[in-house]
Amino acid sequence: MKNYLFIISRAPYASSHAFEQLEAAMVAAVFDASVTVLLRDEGVWALQPRQEGSATQQNTFAKALAALPAYEVEQLYVCRASLNKHSVSADPSLGFEPMSLAAQQRLIDSSDVVIGGQS
Amino acid sequence: MKYALAVHGAPYSSNAAEHALSFIEALQACGHDIERVFFFHEGVYQGLNGQVTPQSLHDNALQARWAAVAAQGIELAVCIASGIKRGVVDSAEQERYDLPAATLHTDFTLVGLGQLIAAIDNADRYVEFPA
Repeated sequence: MKNYLFIISRAPYASSHAFEQLEAAMVAAVFDASVTVLLRDEGVWALQPRQEGSATQQNTFAKALAALPAYEVEQLYVCRASLNKHSVSADPSLGFEPMSLAAQQRLIDSSDVVIGGQS
Repeated sequence: MKYALAVHGAPYSSNAAEHALSFIEALQACGHDIERVFFFHEGVYQGLNGQVTPQSLHDNALQARWAAVAAQGIELAVCIASGIKRGVVDSAEQERYDLPAATLHTDFTLVGLGQLIAAIDNADRYVEFPA
């Protein structure tokens, strides 16, 4: 199997895009692919502490992120510059490691497949 | 080379399909193969039956262009998870959920997300067309 990098760059509650990306990442993991998830741009809002999806009749995105290790998706990264730009203090319990732009460049370069790279 | 493609945009609201279709034509002109075209997110609406192309866009009737791709034996695969919640269903799902109509065009098939991963794994390159 190839190694997959899923980039989530859209805000979790503005559209279903981020949630559907996460579903695809979980399916790839079920297929025994090596899966890495990178949150960047508005996707970093997924790590905002104290989310309550039910306030807008949606699933709580952070709960779905918390399930990733159960799918053996354990390489979890977040763009440090995007966190700073949006002033998001990532919930540490979700286990996403802040990453520099240079390190993201290396991560993309070392991935066989990038899903969500342009959106 | 073998390509897996994904289309994320809805017809006539994003240009994802126009870009994908032109890319498919270019790939074929260069002698490449296409493993599968996968429709994800709002891209599932590409498979919605009964689209009426405005006359001003007559040269760009997307469903006719997709039909030409399907006629070559290229699989047009609509994500079932993204599709059914948006009302894009085949007759099996229509029956399962007791819906008034099957809405998926017969040139398209409804498949699981695993078919996206399988296509990418079998292909040399993966290219996606965002909304």
